[in-house]
Amino acid sequence: MNHFGPTSTRFTRALGVATILGLGWLAVFGLLLSPDDVVQGSYARLLYIHVPSAWLAYLAFGVTGLASGAYLWPRTRSMQWDRIAGASAEVGVLFMALALVTGSLWGKVTWGTYWTWDSRLTTTAFLFVTYIGYLAVRDLGGSHEQRARRSAVLALLAVLEVPLVHFSVSWWRPLHQAETIERGGLKGLMLFSFFVGMIAFTLLYVWLVMHRQRLMMLNDMIDDSGLDRALAERRNEVAP
Amino acid sequence: MDLSPREVVATAPRGRKKPWFAYAVLALVLIAGGVVVAKFLTSALDYYCNVDEVGVKDGCDEGRNIRIQGTVEQGSVETNDATTNFIITFNGASMPVELGSEPTGLFQECIPVVVTGKVLRADDGTRYFAGEEVIVKHDNQYDAENEERLDEANAEAAACSRKG
Repeated sequence: MNHFGPTSTRFTRALGVATILGLGWLAVFGLLLSPDDVVQGSYARLLYIHVPSAWLAYLAFGVTGLASGAYLWPRTRSMQWDRIAGASAEVGVLFMALALVTGSLWGKVTWGTYWTWDSRLTTTAFLFVTYIGYLAVRDLGGSHEQRARRSAVLALLAVLEVPLVHFSVSWWRPLHQAETIERGGLKGLMLFSFFVGMIAFTLLYVWLVMHRQRLMMLNDMIDDSGLDRALAERRNEVAP
Repeated sequence: MDLSPREVVATAPRGRKKPWFAYAVLALVLIAGGVVVAKFLTSALDYYCNVDEVGVKDGCDEGRNIRIQGTVEQGSVETNDATTNFIITFNGASMPVELGSEPTGLFQECIPVVVTGKVLRADDGTRYFAGEEVIVKHDNQYDAENEERLDEANAEAAACSRKG
């Protein structure tokens, strides 16, 4: 009997289609329908990718923190929470990398430099490095329970960096602009295009995390079945 | 019954990374984290001053490396072979800047900038800012580029010119 089925279900397939439609919608609004900015011209369109990817990274790391808390809490302890935490962190690192790359390109054409050690940029880079470290800690070996316990503790510490990154533009004098959406910096079709980006990227995040955590579950099952098989073989060896 | 230890064939599960790879990544992460913090702290040594704080606020003194923030005055930008000269203003104070490089990005008149360098005195005793690098600081307001907005932008540019 095949225990290792596909990672997709009817729901995730529908979600995948919705994600593709959302990304297509974003391309149409972001590249064609949204107007140029009066100062930045067409460069402002990077906002529709840069800001949603940064926000989704925050969300992903927040979900990693919550799932890690749920794993450590005795009443809700389940390996499923550990896998959700790991999958969400992996997707979060991808989104954070996208935010850093698009931000760097945007910085070059607007600020005149790819990088500067500004408070927002520095805290974001530190957050990115921290979660790469988190993923490395998950791969250090040991049993699934050991992996889950040590990475959950680290995730609860790492998630404290997220508010530090977000409020860095308020607490220091940064080169990076202050909050745009909260302060009404976007209007009309530009605001609408931004929300299209947020919806499309959120769908993409949920789709990626669902598949990734199922893939992690299959990997864990392969590990466990390998152990079961080895035990069975050993028993057969000593059977009369 | 044969109770002698079985020969163990060391195999890692297919597709799984070896722990040494995770340890190597972790070491790189620790180094990268240290570099990020060190760079930030080194950068923070340069005080961040508005034009009106030069010579007034602690750390914003003449002769020391600082980052100065202001808006490029309308009609003040002059480009020579090796230098770009312009005036930046903030809160009623102004400072001439002599930049030893060509500005990039969205650099233009009436746009906020941050210049790295130091305040020096010319032969006639007037202060000027010897800039090494200029970075454009755009705000968090985005406005659609259309005819109506261009009229508003022109009005803002005229207002900037009058202030200068």
